[in-house]
Amino acid sequence: MLAVALAFIATALHIVLCFAAAPLVTGITNKLRAWLLGRRGPPWLQPYRHLAKLLCKSSFVPDTATDLFTVWPLGAFLALAVATMLIPGFANGMLTADAGDYITIVGLFALARAAIMLGGLETGFGFGGAGAAREALFGVFAEAALLVLLLAFALLAQSTNVDGIAEAFRTTHIGISVSLGFALAAMLTVALTETGRIPTDNPSGHLELSMVHEAMALEYSGRLLALLDYAGMLRLIAWMNLIGTIFLPFGMARASEISSWPGGLALWAGKLLAMAAALSAFEVSRAKMRVFRVPEFLGAALLLGMLASVFLFVAARIGA
Amino acid sequence: MFGLPGHGMHLRLDALSMLFGCILLPQTVAAAVAGMRASVPFWVFVLGMALTLAAGDAFTLILGFELMSAASWLLVMQGDARPATLYAGIAIFSGACLIPALFLPASSLAFVLVALGAGAKAGLAPLHSWLPRAHPAPPAGVSALMSGGMVKVALYVLIRYAFVNLASAQQPWWGETLVAAGALSVLIGALRAALEVELKAALACSTVEHVGLIAMGLGLALYAKASGEAELSGLALQAALLCAVAHGLFKPLLFIGAGEVKHATGTTSMNWLGGLMRGMPRLGALMLLGAAGMAALPLGPGFAPEYLLFHAVISAAATGGILARIGFSATLAVLGIGAALALAASVRLVGMGFLGRPRSLHAAAAEDLRRGPFMAMTLLATLAIPVALVPGLILSLLNPVILLLAPQALTPPLSYAPLTLLVLTGLAALAAGFAQTRWGGRGLREAPAWNGGFGRPPAWLPFGDPRTQISATGFAEPVMRSIGRELLGTAPVDPAERFLLIPLIRAQRRGVRLAERMRRATIRERLAFVFAVLVTFLLALGLGRGG
Repeated sequence: MLAVALAFIATALHIVLCFAAAPLVTGITNKLRAWLLGRRGPPWLQPYRHLAKLLCKSSFVPDTATDLFTVWPLGAFLALAVATMLIPGFANGMLTADAGDYITIVGLFALARAAIMLGGLETGFGFGGAGAAREALFGVFAEAALLVLLLAFALLAQSTNVDGIAEAFRTTHIGISVSLGFALAAMLTVALTETGRIPTDNPSGHLELSMVHEAMALEYSGRLLALLDYAGMLRLIAWMNLIGTIFLPFGMARASEISSWPGGLALWAGKLLAMAAALSAFEVSRAKMRVFRVPEFLGAALLLGMLASVFLFVAARIGA
Repeated sequence: MFGLPGHGMHLRLDALSMLFGCILLPQTVAAAVAGMRASVPFWVFVLGMALTLAAGDAFTLILGFELMSAASWLLVMQGDARPATLYAGIAIFSGACLIPALFLPASSLAFVLVALGAGAKAGLAPLHSWLPRAHPAPPAGVSALMSGGMVKVALYVLIRYAFVNLASAQQPWWGETLVAAGALSVLIGALRAALEVELKAALACSTVEHVGLIAMGLGLALYAKASGEAELSGLALQAALLCAVAHGLFKPLLFIGAGEVKHATGTTSMNWLGGLMRGMPRLGALMLLGAAGMAALPLGPGFAPEYLLFHAVISAAATGGILARIGFSATLAVLGIGAALALAASVRLVGMGFLGRPRSLHAAAAEDLRRGPFMAMTLLATLAIPVALVPGLILSLLNPVILLLAPQALTPPLSYAPLTLLVLTGLAALAAGFAQTRWGGRGLREAPAWNGGFGRPPAWLPFGDPRTQISATGFAEPVMRSIGRELLGTAPVDPAERFLLIPLIRAQRRGVRLAERMRRATIRERLAFVFAVLVTFLLALGLGRGG
């Protein structure tokens, strides 16, 4: 009974913290990137102000859009919110752990992607359509790579649940594995594409011919844009949580032991900060790719994902 | 009554035929309500399918199967005579494979013949290229029943023979073959569904994909049954049968909807549609549900089967020989690419057909769907909701069938919990609603689209400049450019047609030319031929004797 109550509190804490910290993570990433470029950058808290400003502004609906125009940002937000709730952050064994199967989470990301693509097609103007078409292409490789990775995780952890994978990687000794290295490279590639970061898309670009994510949000304004932007922030923190939980599970708290929470929370914050720093350093050191180079980039991720499991098969065969 | 002399006709219903009957019933009712009530060939078609399902002996099964083929050929011909010939050819091929197979003793030859015959009828790659041509041809109700029902009846024959009647001769490679054919169907079907411009042709290609998914599940189950893995066979059968149930609901829904689009606008080419949500909101909402099923999105009817299939492939790759394991991990990649392509196809269907600006005056003036099709689609949508939200319950209903097909199979409970997801979605929606009412601005104002700062279109273009809106072809272009060209070539031709059908036609032409040449031979040529044969024969005889 006590354990369930504690798990409930841990889950609620996780959800509240993720929802509250999502803009902060984006703000920190932007600030760090500006620092690395030698600029002063926007304040840490700028994303909160941005959201508050958008919430107060009035929203416009293009006269060429249908009644579903307002539905798509909400759909994207809800799918990503549920994904954020399901992916463990600072603790293992939360109440939502059982529902958090890896495939369900990939499905929720796909649902958010579909909603944003439909929002881009909604107004019927060139930019939105071009962005949606490119997103459809990227999605093909990204989703396939993500799903192939699951095989390597399932073979190593005997579980397809994100919480179960983290638990297995934390408690059993796996060591430095070539397969996990490949899997990490593939997952980072997909994460960069899905969150619209620099080698595939420019998060700070606003009116370029090659923009993808921004192109689909171009006609949104006011609170609908706030919802879309917030969904993007949630996606960033959800991906950081996913990568952190699978590849850096050390020091995660147990939801049923309250004494382990402070350590888990502190480490979680540290991991998010480290990932934000790594992301901004990577973004600064890379140039944006041409749109039709991205399938090659993601195709490499797909191959790495397959190689990760093939190496495991070979290792099992030769008894290594 | 009709059966073989001295044997009579046997009808028998067991769990498997009941399940497929249950899949068939709602779509038959829907197709009848949607406007096929008065057509005699339609009812003969339904009778043929019912007879195949209820058959207790091989003769009755063949009778029903051929009745179904003949009636559907008539229905295809009523719609469009061009694909009818190809369709009849495939029907004859599948009959020619099935008739000897059903009377052979249990052996691998019998399985190969059944797989060829039933697979050709179900549209399993590489014998699928007729399906995107023939299924869109007849009226919408028949297309719905062909895609949702006839294909399932062919799969029923495959299941009945592969799992029950030929069980004594089972080999693991039967399953592996089916998985390979299924993976090929998934890849080609999903890719073509994302590229096809005709609405109904895109839906038919998506049917090829779903047949591939079902075949993959069945193949995995056969493989697991032959190698004695109880849990995998249960999981794979759950995936295959649930996919058949879900596909039997959302695909007829989409086809009937496509028929209504045709009725309201006079076209099904997505390059001439657009903005139908304004004139046809009810149709749009129903199509959205169907498209969510087709794309296998969470909380839609298509997700649970796909989820189970992924789990089945993963657990198949966890054991076995190294080559099989590498094969299964490639299968997993194909499944992933197929799922994402299906998502692109569904987004394109909804985005091009129902959102944005109208691409023609007909699309702008479309009126909402008629009463009959509305009732049919509502029936299918209502039945799809339990499949979407309580798949665990449906799976427990499938248990007797699974035990009939694989008596030792274990069926673990489903770990995908849509109701939990729904509760979490509700929580997030409440939070968003609260933030909106507490801090948000009110009201939505309609304004001209910003459109990157371009000016307003002139007054004689009421829906703006059509060339500034992406078309269905344009939406598919990136996929075509980076995947399609390698698989389908620059002029998109189905690989099955290029490597199977076109060489066959060429060989047939060459044969005809040869026969014609022989018929026209002069008497001297004929005599010379006979003489040459005689000399060769004698030489061969003499050399054989002498050496």
